[in-house]
Amino acid sequence: MFLSRSEYDRGVNTFSPEGRLFQVEYALEAIKLGSTAIGIQCADGVVLAVEKRVSSPLIEPSSIEKIVEIDTHIGATMSGLTADARTLIQHARVEAQNHRFNYEEPMPVESIAQAVCDLALRFGESGYGEDDDDADNGGGEGGGTNKDDTPIMSRPFGVALLLAGCDEHGPALYTTDPSGTYTRWLATAIGAGGESAQATLEERYRRSLSLTEAEVLALEVLRQVMEEKLNAMNIEMACVLPDGKHGRFQIYSTERLKACIERMSATDSPR
Amino acid sequence: MRPQEDQTRFTESSWMSSNLGPSAQQALISHQRSWSPYVDNGGTVLALAGRDYAVVAADTRFSVGFSVPSRNLTKIVRLTDQAVLASAGMGADRQYLHKILRSRLEVYKYQHQKQMSLSAIAQLLSNTLYSRRFFPIYAFNVLGGIDDNTGEGFVFGYDAIGSFEKVKVVCSGSGQTLVQPVLDQQLAGRQKYDLPDDQRMASLSLDEAIELTRDVFNSAAERDILTGDAVEIYAVTGSGVRYERHSLRQD
Repeated sequence: MFLSRSEYDRGVNTFSPEGRLFQVEYALEAIKLGSTAIGIQCADGVVLAVEKRVSSPLIEPSSIEKIVEIDTHIGATMSGLTADARTLIQHARVEAQNHRFNYEEPMPVESIAQAVCDLALRFGESGYGEDDDDADNGGGEGGGTNKDDTPIMSRPFGVALLLAGCDEHGPALYTTDPSGTYTRWLATAIGAGGESAQATLEERYRRSLSLTEAEVLALEVLRQVMEEKLNAMNIEMACVLPDGKHGRFQIYSTERLKACIERMSATDSPR
Repeated sequence: MRPQEDQTRFTESSWMSSNLGPSAQQALISHQRSWSPYVDNGGTVLALAGRDYAVVAADTRFSVGFSVPSRNLTKIVRLTDQAVLASAGMGADRQYLHKILRSRLEVYKYQHQKQMSLSAIAQLLSNTLYSRRFFPIYAFNVLGGIDDNTGEGFVFGYDAIGSFEKVKVVCSGSGQTLVQPVLDQQLAGRQKYDLPDDQRMASLSLDEAIELTRDVFNSAAERDILTGDAVEIYAVTGSGVRYERHSLRQD
């Protein structure tokens, strides 16, 4: 397979004769090496759960941050080259704040996904110029800092995001990937264990899941795909719950994680 | 010795004439030309809100000093089926502002798959005006509509550089000083000091509100030479926007 790929797999701006962009495809492969992240939308919110690879007992687990807040009603988790995610997350945060500045309202979740994907495609030659030059910056108060000749990114971003949020249409879960595509899901998984987790989710997902049931399902699927034994130190969880017209994003504390794990152990022991 | 004295002002002072030679004096003569990019094209705009409606109205006279280049130029733009904007001030700036807002609303609709809410438009208008803080758009806006959560009517009053307030009744333009006190008395109950704040506001039906609007415009047209010809009235309710138009004094 690799033998047939000649010079076309080098440039980020060159299609192969079969119409493929190999660097983008390789970036998608990078995600399949990442830690597994799971998102489940349920009747009353969205749950995120992600594996943290604590590769040494000397690592301080809390310093590995896999779930981040984008705005009070939207959070994200990531899989792949997590350092690349920082750029995307920063962009999403700025867009969310710009939206509040311009319109005095929280940004819709789909618009956030679109904003992330807009940046995801700005690699190679197209990555030069301002960071935030959207038509949406009417007040002239954009967060753009990148006006010099440094490109935003020389290669595709090697990271996929799971975006969980709640807007006026209710809870929503999106994935974004290096090709600049976003997709809405009821439940999905990305990363190394993504495919097998996805299969389990397809089998066990119901629209009527409560938040607690979704938490348990996410943990069970995560436990199934993780190499290490799952505990409160090597996973992270978060949820978005409707709060009035919009949502409130919260990352679980260690205590809350422990309680979730306990609930999962309790439900599956009779089987 | 002083040609074109109407356009050229000679700046002289005693120390100049005593200490400086004739060529230096010549250089200190200041030739000032006034640059005035703003014209007030007159007219009155008003917006008032009730429990489930908002009324936005404006006359259609367009004047420059004592002349009336047009008797039929609208000051109102219908932005969405929940929000209507009326602007007094300079005609060109008004048309430009309305065009900007209409296109921003269109882009927003494509980007976010929904119509912009009244409060979002209010914030956008403020930002748009403030982005021209040091060369302002000469327009005095009143925005009326209904809140898409509660269905309650609200209006927003603005100054030229984006300062705004959410109120129940507001008026701007050349007839402001005639109309605003009447609205304050009839609607906002500003003089009813013996009543608690939340009980002063009169609750008018939509038809009563439109009748009051017609009355105040007829009165303004009577006394304000820049207001007249016709009044356009937009009534915003939960079921959309209704338009009507009535004649005013034409002299």
